[in-house]
Amino acid sequence: MLALVDDVPQCYVDNDWICAQYWHDYRPELVDATVEHIWLTVVSVLAGLLIAIPLGLLARRNPTLETAVVGGTTIVYTIPSLALFSLLLPFTGLTSTTVIIGLALYSLTILVRNVIAGLRSVPEEVKESARGIGYSDRRMLLQIEIPLALPVIMAGIRVATVSTVALVTVGSIVSYGGLGNLLLLAVGNQFKAQIFAASVLCVVLAVAFDLALVLVQRLLTPWTRRAR
Amino acid sequence: MRIGRVLGGMVAGALLLATAGCGGSDSLEDTGSGDSTGSADKGSVTVGGQDFTESQIMAAIYQKVLENAGYTVQTKLVTTRDVYLPELSKGSVDIVPDYLAGLTDFLNSEANGADAPLVSSHDPDATLQALKPLAEAKGISILPPSDATDQNAFFVTKDFADQNDLTTLSDFAAMHQPIKLGAPPDCEGRSDCAGGLTKTYGFDIKEIVPLDFASAQVKDAVKKGEVQLGETGTTDGTLEDLGLVLLDDDKGIQPAQNLTPAVNSDFIDANPDLEDVFNQLSAALTTEDLADMNVQVDLERKKPEDVAQQFLEDKGLL
Amino acid sequence: MLGDVFSYLTDGSNWSGSTGIGTFMVQQLLLTVTALLIAMVLGLPLALYLGHRHHGGTLAVNVTNVGRAVPVFAVLLVLALGPVGSEQFGPYGRAGLATLIALVLFALPPIITNAYVGVVEVDPGAVEAARGMGMNGAKVFSSVELPLAMPVVMTGVRVALVQVWATATIAALVAGPGLGRIITRGFANHRTYEVVAGAVLVALGALVLEATMALVQRYADPMRRARVSVTRSSPTAVGGPR
Repeated sequence: MLALVDDVPQCYVDNDWICAQYWHDYRPELVDATVEHIWLTVVSVLAGLLIAIPLGLLARRNPTLETAVVGGTTIVYTIPSLALFSLLLPFTGLTSTTVIIGLALYSLTILVRNVIAGLRSVPEEVKESARGIGYSDRRMLLQIEIPLALPVIMAGIRVATVSTVALVTVGSIVSYGGLGNLLLLAVGNQFKAQIFAASVLCVVLAVAFDLALVLVQRLLTPWTRRAR
Repeated sequence: MRIGRVLGGMVAGALLLATAGCGGSDSLEDTGSGDSTGSADKGSVTVGGQDFTESQIMAAIYQKVLENAGYTVQTKLVTTRDVYLPELSKGSVDIVPDYLAGLTDFLNSEANGADAPLVSSHDPDATLQALKPLAEAKGISILPPSDATDQNAFFVTKDFADQNDLTTLSDFAAMHQPIKLGAPPDCEGRSDCAGGLTKTYGFDIKEIVPLDFASAQVKDAVKKGEVQLGETGTTDGTLEDLGLVLLDDDKGIQPAQNLTPAVNSDFIDANPDLEDVFNQLSAALTTEDLADMNVQVDLERKKPEDVAQQFLEDKGLL
Repeated sequence: MLGDVFSYLTDGSNWSGSTGIGTFMVQQLLLTVTALLIAMVLGLPLALYLGHRHHGGTLAVNVTNVGRAVPVFAVLLVLALGPVGSEQFGPYGRAGLATLIALVLFALPPIITNAYVGVVEVDPGAVEAARGMGMNGAKVFSSVELPLAMPVVMTGVRVALVQVWATATIAALVAGPGLGRIITRGFANHRTYEVVAGAVLVALGALVLEATMALVQRYADPMRRARVSVTRSSPTAVGGPR
C-alpha cells in the first residue's frame, strides 16, 4: 500500500516503550502538558482544601454531621468522572474550571477525613489551658488548633496531591487533562513511547510534589522535627 | 502570625494561578464578531472535535485553514460527541469536523429518543437532507460535505479470510457460524451494527464484547480469536500490519459518513466568507488522503499538525 | 427520571443474564474483596515488620504511594494489551486478571502507609515499658504495638476497600467485569436512567462497605480508647479515571 518512508525512526517503527527520539520530537508537547498538569493539580488541591477546612470545622463536634460529611464525600468519590463532568458541563463548559471543580470534589474524601482527624488530635488539656487563660474560640482555632492539627492535615494534603496527579488525567474528557491528554491519545493508537513518557512524568511530578510538601510541612511545623 | 501568613500566601498564590488559568481559557469565548476587513486578525475561533487520530488530523487542518484566513484559533479535543455537541450548539465551540451519519444519528436520538428509527442512510444526499433540520434546531449549520468518507466497517484476521476465501460480509455470513462481535457499547440493535449484521446479512451473533471502535483492544481481541469480527473505519491504516483485513459491506448497511464541517449558526452568519474556505477544503479532500494521513500519524508517529500542514501545502490550500 | 431509574432497578430482567446487574455486581464485589485480601497479604506483613523495626518504611511508603500517580486506566490498558491479556478469568470475567492486578496495586498504598505509620507512631513509652517487663521483640509487637496501632491500620484497610470498590468501575474500559459496564452501556445508548442506576448502585455499595468496615473496626479494635492519633495519614487515593 504505502511504503514506509526511510526517515521514520526505528523505535517508532518497532513501537518501543523507550524511545529517545520521542522525547526529542515531542518535547514541546511534553512540556506544555506537564505545565498544565502542575497548575491543574495545585489549584484543585487548594480549592479542595478551601472546602475541606470549613466542612471539617462544622463536622468535628457533631457526630451526625461528621457521618453525613464523610458519607457524602465518599459518595462524591464514587461518581464516575464522565458523569460528574457531564453534570458540570452545562454550567462551566469546556474550561479548566470544569476539571478543577471535579478534582477538588474528588480530593475531599481524603482531605475532610484528615482535617477532622487533625483537629481531633489536638489534646483536650491544651485546649482547656488555652480557654483558661482567656482565648476566644476564634483565637484558639487560629493559634492553637490549626497549628497543632497541621501534621495530620499535611499528611492528607500529601496523599490528596499524589492522587490528584493521577486524577488530572481524566480531565482529557473535556480537553484539560495535562499529561492525560497525551496518555489517552497514545492509548488510542498504541503509541508506547508516549504512554511510557506520560506515565513517567506523572510519577516524577508526584515525587516532586511530595518532596515540596514535606519541605512546606517542615517550614510550617518546625517543632515536630525530632532530633535523631 | 507566621503560619497564618504562609497559608495566606499559598491561598493567594492559588487564586492567582486559578485566575491565570481560567482567564487564559475563557478569553477564547468571544468568537469572531470583529471587523471583516483584510486578512488582519478576524477574532478567535474554537475548533472542537473528538480525540481519535483522524479527528485530530482534521481538527489540525481546520485550525491551519482558519489561521491562514486570519483567525486566532484554539483547538479543544474531547473524548465523545456528547461533550462537544452542546458546546457547538451554544457557541463556545465554533466549528467541528464531523461525520455525516454519525452526527445525524446523534442529533436524531437526542431529538426523538434513543429508540427512534435511524434517519441516516447509505445515500449521502438523503442523509444530509435528514441532518439539516435536526442541526438547525440546535443552532448548528452544516456546510457541504466532502466526498471523503470514513465509513464504519468490519474486519477479520487475514488468515481466516484467506482460509475461507472471504472478501465480503455476505461471504462470512454464508458460513452460518455463530460469532462474537467486538464493537462499541451502542452497537446492539443498530441497523449499521449488530442489527444490520443479523437482519440484513443473517449473522448469528452470540455476544457483543463492548470494545471501542478502531481501538487497539478490538484489534487485539480479533487477533487472539476472542471475537471473530471487529469494527473499525474504512480509513484505518493499521490493519495490514496487524494481519487484519476489512470485509466489504456488499449489502450497504453502513450509512454515509462523509467528512463535513458542522458550524455554530451564529458564527457562520457573522463570518460568511468562511464557507468558501471550507468548501475548497472539502472539495480537495479524498478518502485516500484520510487513509494516508492516518498511517502517517498511527504508524510513522508524525504529529497531526505536521501531517495537516503537509497535506494543505500539497493541495495548495495555504 | 427517578421513576425510570427505579423501574429499571426493580425490573428483575435487568438483573439476570451474563450482562445483567446481578452478574456485574457479584463480579465487582469479588474483584474488590479479592484485590483487598491480596493487597493485605502482600502489604501488611511487610509494613508492620518495617514499622516494628522503625526502619525502611518511609521508602516502602513512598514507592507505593508514588506508584499511584500512574493512572489506573493506563496500568489496566497496558496489562490487558500486554503480557496479562484480557481473557476470561474464572468468575472474575473478561480481563479479570488484568483488572485484579491493577486494583491490587491501587490498594497497596493506603494499606502500607497506614500499617507502617500506625506502628511507628505507637507511644515509645509503652514500648519501653513492655521491654522493661522483659518482653521480647515478637511479644512487644503482638501485645503492645499491634493492638495500639490497630485503629490506624484498619483505617488504611477501610479506605482501600472503599476506593477499590469505586475504582473497579474502570474495568468497563477493557470490556471487563463490574458495574462500570452498566454505566458505560447507558452512556453509549443515551439511557440516562441506566447511567444513574449504575452510579447509585456503586455509591450504595460504597456506603454499605464503609459501614461494614466501621463495624468490623469497632469489633476488631481491642483498645478503642487508647490514645493513638488516628490517621496520621489517612490515606488516600486515587481513582483513576473511572
